[in-house]
Amino acid sequence: MDSRDTSGASETGGRKRRAESAGTSRRRFLQSAGVTAGIASLAGCTDFLSGESDEPGNNTTTTSDFGQIGSGRTGDQIQGGTSMQDMPDLSGEITVYSGRGEALVGELISYIEGLYPDLTIQPRYEGSSQLVQKILNEGENSPADVFFSVNAGSLGFLKDEGRTVELSDEITGMVREEFHDPDGNWVGTSGRARTIPYNTDTFSESDIPTDIMAFPDADQFSDDIGWAPSYGSFQAFVTAMRILNGREATKQWLEGMIELGVQEYTDEFAIALAVADGEISAGFTNHYYIQRVLADREDAPLATAFTEGDAGAIFNVAGAAVVDTAQDQEMAANFVRHLLSAEAQAYFATTTYEYPLIPEVEPIGDLPTIDELNPPADLDLTQLSDIRPTLDLMREVGISV
Amino acid sequence: MAPETDSLFARVTSSESELPLGLTLLSGAIAAAVVFPLIWILANALEVGAGTAIDLLTRETTLRVFLNSTLLVAVVTGASILFAVPLAFLTVRTNLPLKRFWTVALSMPLVVPSYIGAFAFVSAFGPRGELQTMLAPLGIEKLPEIYGFTGAALVMTLYTYPYVFISTRAALKTMDARLVDAARTLQHSRWEAFRRVTIPQIRPAVTAGALLVALYTLSDFGTPAIMRFDVFTKVIYAEQNSLSTFGQDLAALLSLQLVVVTFVILAVESRVRGGDNIATNRASTRGAMVRLGKWKWPALALCLSVAGLALVVPVGILMAWLIRGGSSSAAASLEFQWQYAFNTVGVSAIAALVAGLAALPIAYLAVRHRSRASWLIERASYVGYAVPGVVMGLALVYFGARYGGRFYQQELILFPLLIFAYVVRFLPQAVGSTRAGFLQVSPTLSDAARTLGRSPVAAFREVTLPLVAPGLIGGALLVFLTTMKELPATLLLRPTGFKTLVTHIWSAQASGHFGHAAIPALVLVVVSAVSMLVMLAMEGYDVK
Repeated sequence: MDSRDTSGASETGGRKRRAESAGTSRRRFLQSAGVTAGIASLAGCTDFLSGESDEPGNNTTTTSDFGQIGSGRTGDQIQGGTSMQDMPDLSGEITVYSGRGEALVGELISYIEGLYPDLTIQPRYEGSSQLVQKILNEGENSPADVFFSVNAGSLGFLKDEGRTVELSDEITGMVREEFHDPDGNWVGTSGRARTIPYNTDTFSESDIPTDIMAFPDADQFSDDIGWAPSYGSFQAFVTAMRILNGREATKQWLEGMIELGVQEYTDEFAIALAVADGEISAGFTNHYYIQRVLADREDAPLATAFTEGDAGAIFNVAGAAVVDTAQDQEMAANFVRHLLSAEAQAYFATTTYEYPLIPEVEPIGDLPTIDELNPPADLDLTQLSDIRPTLDLMREVGISV
Repeated sequence: MAPETDSLFARVTSSESELPLGLTLLSGAIAAAVVFPLIWILANALEVGAGTAIDLLTRETTLRVFLNSTLLVAVVTGASILFAVPLAFLTVRTNLPLKRFWTVALSMPLVVPSYIGAFAFVSAFGPRGELQTMLAPLGIEKLPEIYGFTGAALVMTLYTYPYVFISTRAALKTMDARLVDAARTLQHSRWEAFRRVTIPQIRPAVTAGALLVALYTLSDFGTPAIMRFDVFTKVIYAEQNSLSTFGQDLAALLSLQLVVVTFVILAVESRVRGGDNIATNRASTRGAMVRLGKWKWPALALCLSVAGLALVVPVGILMAWLIRGGSSSAAASLEFQWQYAFNTVGVSAIAALVAGLAALPIAYLAVRHRSRASWLIERASYVGYAVPGVVMGLALVYFGARYGGRFYQQELILFPLLIFAYVVRFLPQAVGSTRAGFLQVSPTLSDAARTLGRSPVAAFREVTLPLVAPGLIGGALLVFLTTMKELPATLLLRPTGFKTLVTHIWSAQASGHFGHAAIPALVLVVVSAVSMLVMLAMEGYDVK
């Protein structure tokens, strides 16, 4: 898999990048976070056990780098929002069922734990769906205090089963209305947008349709565009299309793309790399894969395009909820609040390249702000986890998923 | 009951035909415990209304999944026999050069978790994989498709045929080879002698191994998932992840259907197994070795290609990951710790011990006291093997949380539950091997001890048990090996913070830190390989 060949290059690329730039404070923050990117080409099939496929794979930060953010030099590094220091203290033991991977959020969780001498956090990393079912099976006896999920769907499911408690307005109010549960039972902590990565040597932005339904008829993409149908985020996107445009239109779209000669990849990081390499000229990926390639190769001919107000532009969130079995619900809620702190939001922006959800922290890299995005209006994100009919549909048109 | 009570067997068992009550109750209790988690599956499935159930089960997807699963099981089992029996014959009964080496090399694929094998094959032979990248300068744009049925069947066969290989070897080593010589003196051709003498003698061993292959294929999730081939486990998983109540219903129904298929396989095996091995009172005698002559080279080529493909590909890919991943400053929490290896060995050893002990009464009863009840008990012990780990894990979480009270919340019963899950899933391996052990020991030996004034228990302990020990220990080692590789139930039932090699491999791989997955994977393979060597060394101590 050629994408893995870049791991060595990415390492040197990252170092060079660190050495070269000393510009704005935001830039320095990026460097101090020790952002490197690398390999995730198999992530699409590796997370067959995790249940979700949209974890950004391989960004890493070291404890010491991240520790500096919170311990002292806060002034020029945290862009905005409330610091953990200004939040209520945490103590005791908190069990976090984390559907987000240890490699991604492990550092953040140890950081929070290290902040308070009397706090023990017991993280349990499994697939989001698996954890939801575990909580349901465990019933009243669940040790879970907090459920930290990779997508809104599993949070919504847990809420519908009556297993979450309402968070205070103080917490949900930290993010925009569309990024938390209307009843306040879960709150988004970071976001990911669906995008069209394109090769700037082949196309200019105006060559990319702004309507996702126009792609099958766009001959400029003939045999030159890639997708990763086995990937969770892609399936969520098709699910959105099914909800917004109906089953028949979605089926035609899928068939049209196959007819156009769409190239199949195992995951979306591989697509972003292939576009940067000119192997294909465009694709369908989550936004952070593009940023990750650009972090390694600043001059790669790779840019991000968005469709407008349709399934191609959905914006899903990772988020957290307090489980009704939490020993101390207030403490659990305060842990969730910490995920919305300036430090945590900066962490998401710089290490996972996700969209921070508190308005004061901006996304990293060459991305529009959340306000400039055009996700489809009135799409209930919690519906996107109902992938079963989507899988049926994809199998029906001959895609092996 | 299968027509297996032939006259020979009746003669052998005539002395102890009455079912001993205590032993039957004990075996029955073990079997009941093993079947217990199925109640949860059944209860879940029954909650779906009959109309919905029929509707769901007759959907096109469901039917295709059923056909796919059946086809995969049939092909993998058939191919395993086709490879394993000749290979076993070559390594036992011919003058194949380097026989010991080939025995070890051909058994070793069993130590590679099939999902790691599948990954390696995709990395090596997939589109834009290592091989294609290597061949690209030569103008080779595309390799034959690895995904789908072909890839799934290939990988499953490569990593499960050793079940047949090992059991067939054991049978070939212990059968009285003079029978073949006798047939030859009766002017039978070599092939005819094989067909009429050897095949009937090794058939129980071959079918026992094939049963493990079939049930493993049916319950494996990783390989079909990676190879993108829709089978029961993969669809059950997708349904569970779709997080709609509808999806849960279908998952439960499919699990139930999976269990039914298991019963069918068990029934088929029971019929095919045929008359059991002849219990001998003497050591096996080796007949003359078959001289390969000009067939030496094709034979070596077969051994080399099977072992090479199954071992070199994953080890090569793991090494590549290790070298490439070595320099990156990956997440600190993914650093490998030896504690993971100790944890893995610890739980696997306990599971192996418990499974060995549980298998003893069941196997004894099944061999020495043929009856409908003992047959049922033995068959029941196999059912858990085909239940996917995720389903088993969730069922046990349910029971643990419902009835474990505070102990569950404090995670005190997770360890026992985890061990229980392993035993339920892998008990058949211990039962099969122990059963074969009992078959090799004539009951007349313990009868003799009885006439010398020993109590039944003493006769068993002093005479039978030592003779059965190799089979028993071999079975326990097999459980040990398989437990080390188990992932889904381990993830669900391990106490928080308790990490094993595979859970660590999983975390590292899922986040794309392949360099961090390589070390635990290699450690896993090495530890497994050592226990495999122990198991093979035990062959040396054939029943005397």
